[in-house]
Amino acid sequence: MGLLSLLRKLRSNPDLELRILLLGLDNAGKTTLLKVLASEDITHITPTQGFNIKSVQSKGFKLNVWDIGGQRRIRPYWKNYFENTDILIYVIDSADRKRFEETGEELTELFDEEKLAGVPVLVFANKQDLMNAAQWSEIADGLNLNSVRDRAWQVQPCSAITGEGVKEGIEWMTQACNKKK
Amino acid sequence: MPSKPEDIMKGFKLNWMNLRDADSGKVLWQSSDDLSIPEKEHEARVPKKVLKCRAVSREINFSSKEPMDKFRLEQRVLFKGKCLEEWYFDFGFVIPGSTNTWQSLIEAAPESQMMPANVLNGNVVIETRFYDEDMCVSVSKVRIFYV
Repeated sequence: MGLLSLLRKLRSNPDLELRILLLGLDNAGKTTLLKVLASEDITHITPTQGFNIKSVQSKGFKLNVWDIGGQRRIRPYWKNYFENTDILIYVIDSADRKRFEETGEELTELFDEEKLAGVPVLVFANKQDLMNAAQWSEIADGLNLNSVRDRAWQVQPCSAITGEGVKEGIEWMTQACNKKK
Repeated sequence: MPSKPEDIMKGFKLNWMNLRDADSGKVLWQSSDDLSIPEKEHEARVPKKVLKCRAVSREINFSSKEPMDKFRLEQRVLFKGKCLEEWYFDFGFVIPGSTNTWQSLIEAAPESQMMPANVLNGNVVIETRFYDEDMCVSVSKVRIFYV
């Protein structure tokens, strides 16, 4: 995939700078997804104790992707990174059923954030390669997404490890982003 | 209460830095443990083929014990002291007790404009300056050798 190709796709957006924010509970796979987007090795990923940022620049156009750790200790700091976000990617571990409620609550809180009002949300229902992964429809119902009307949203089943579904999510994001402006 | 400058500086640590071929994501060079020693000019021995890469990314990993509100960096690529390329990046808030990475990726100049390895060798320095608003927290210099 590569970040430059992602940047090229998003470049039709008239903004000169784009900010993508990656959130979700710990162990959802945010950093893995970020590394997959950059074609990097994903064998040695450790829990993020802060943020990981990737900045890409080409012909005056800039893309910044922010991946913020999802541990409970870090979540209260998420709000420091909301400003100027163009797209929110929310990552869910589809096999971690015990924490569906918790991840749903966090997402609901994000929907209520003033600084994220109207920001398109791509929910990656990650880890679809695992046997006990929930279907995307079950996840959409559980998150009560069907009642969300004030923004564009999409649930995309994916597996960051196999790469399945990632491209489709990026396609949606590109469209949502170009439509927004 | 904002943290005191000396506490911020004492609690800041540059952990590692690497260079990658941005197309393949492969690491071309990764710093050794001594990167955290401040005031020292570090050396990177990078394979010559890096100059053939269409895009190269530079990644920095750092930790901060103290929170910072207006953290930012300035990164310059210098050739014989002359600036070839610069990045300004505003991180804003830094979480207390956090470890963070920042990666910057830029397309290479067209091959016709690229200086040959023997000219660049030992003459290129990547200088990264970290600030909390206007206070300089740390400076890192890495001199590049093409081998």
